[in-house]
Amino acid sequence: MTDVVEMHEAQLVGEAEWIAATEICRLCRLELDAVIELAELGLVAPRGYEPEHWQVPAAALPRLAVAARLMRDLGINVSGAALAVELLEAQRDLERRIRRLERLTPV
Amino acid sequence: MEYRDYYQILGVARMATAEDIKKSYRRLARKYHPDVSKEKDAEQKFKELQEAYEVLKDPEKRAAYDQLGSEWKSGQQFRPPPDWASGFEFSGSRSRGTSSAHVFEEEGFSDFFSSLFGGGSPFGAAGKRQRQAAGRDHHARIDIDLEEAFGGGTRTLDLKRPELKPDGTLELRSHTVRVAIPAGVTDGQLIRLAGQGEAAPGGGRAGDLYLEVHIRPHRLFQMEGRDVTLTLPVAPWEAALGATITVPTLGGAVEMHVPAGAQSGQKLRLRGRGLPGQPPGDEYVQLKVVLPPANSPAAQALYEDMRAKLGSFDPRADLQAKP
Repeated sequence: MTDVVEMHEAQLVGEAEWIAATEICRLCRLELDAVIELAELGLVAPRGYEPEHWQVPAAALPRLAVAARLMRDLGINVSGAALAVELLEAQRDLERRIRRLERLTPV
Repeated sequence: MEYRDYYQILGVARMATAEDIKKSYRRLARKYHPDVSKEKDAEQKFKELQEAYEVLKDPEKRAAYDQLGSEWKSGQQFRPPPDWASGFEFSGSRSRGTSSAHVFEEEGFSDFFSSLFGGGSPFGAAGKRQRQAAGRDHHARIDIDLEEAFGGGTRTLDLKRPELKPDGTLELRSHTVRVAIPAGVTDGQLIRLAGQGEAAPGGGRAGDLYLEVHIRPHRLFQMEGRDVTLTLPVAPWEAALGATITVPTLGGAVEMHVPAGAQSGQKLRLRGRGLPGQPPGDEYVQLKVVLPPANSPAAQALYEDMRAKLGSFDPRADLQAKP
């Protein structure tokens, strides 16, 4: 059975500069302990004193979402996920540079 | 609906041990995980793997699946037997592991899975969900073009979500959502559709639907956050003497001044011409000097003239050993 639902306005998540750590947990389906460990590993730099009241830069949301998925789907632990995210980002950055350089070289 | 051979999907024999199944799933999940894999159709394959593993890792579901017999082949037309799953006793542990992530993962599963193991089937976790006051959030991925990210747009999404039937069981219901995508969305960003997640069984607040945005690679522009980079071919005289050149941007072509003495690889910035936002991104234009071919006597004469008149120019001066 298919319903046609009316048009929905989408809100951008994380347009503000900081997001509460508890909100990050909900969005990425992460436990707060995992966010704390990811912060200790340097994957995200929160501000605030108590983890329950931490705020996390909105820009870190995509990388935290990837870390959460890798942990969930591949059964890897927090340090493994943090390492994988950093390596994936480095790989994408290098690929971007390669594509840019390839466009500069004559075919 | 079509039959799915879960053993074949996981690349294991029907007699495989739980350990073999787990190992094979881990190996293939690593290969096809959409965040890691460069394989074609990785996302689709990963969903199939998750679906197969969901059944074969659970001894009760596996036993029920095995009861269908080994004569079936993937893709064959299939209808669940009328006495499906009768005569099984379910352990209480089945629903303990059900998390919101689990519900999300089942969203992309096949009709085959839904009819045998989804909500509404004897294996569904309807009882657990009934006790919830608020609906769960749902997550999905949306692929858009850079132009849509720049100007916003409307998208129609076909999604499946579990809904509570009057008899207390759940069914997967297809629904179509039209989404107005906000201008300025970036790759990896989440957008929220309030109240479009799981309906709350007790009439409480429905969950939200989160869409993770993926922007497809663009023919001309490369993205980095809100900034975009364009490689702009220029003639040697445009770089050497300076020129005003028409340059494509996401918002339409603009005139850009290339300063005299520009070099290949040099980057120029068009402020605010990237994706909109606070602040908006920039467009970087990277120059690529393209030489005209020396394929006519006139062109050859010009190059020879350059050699004669610019003979002191040494493009390899930096390679000389310094004292």
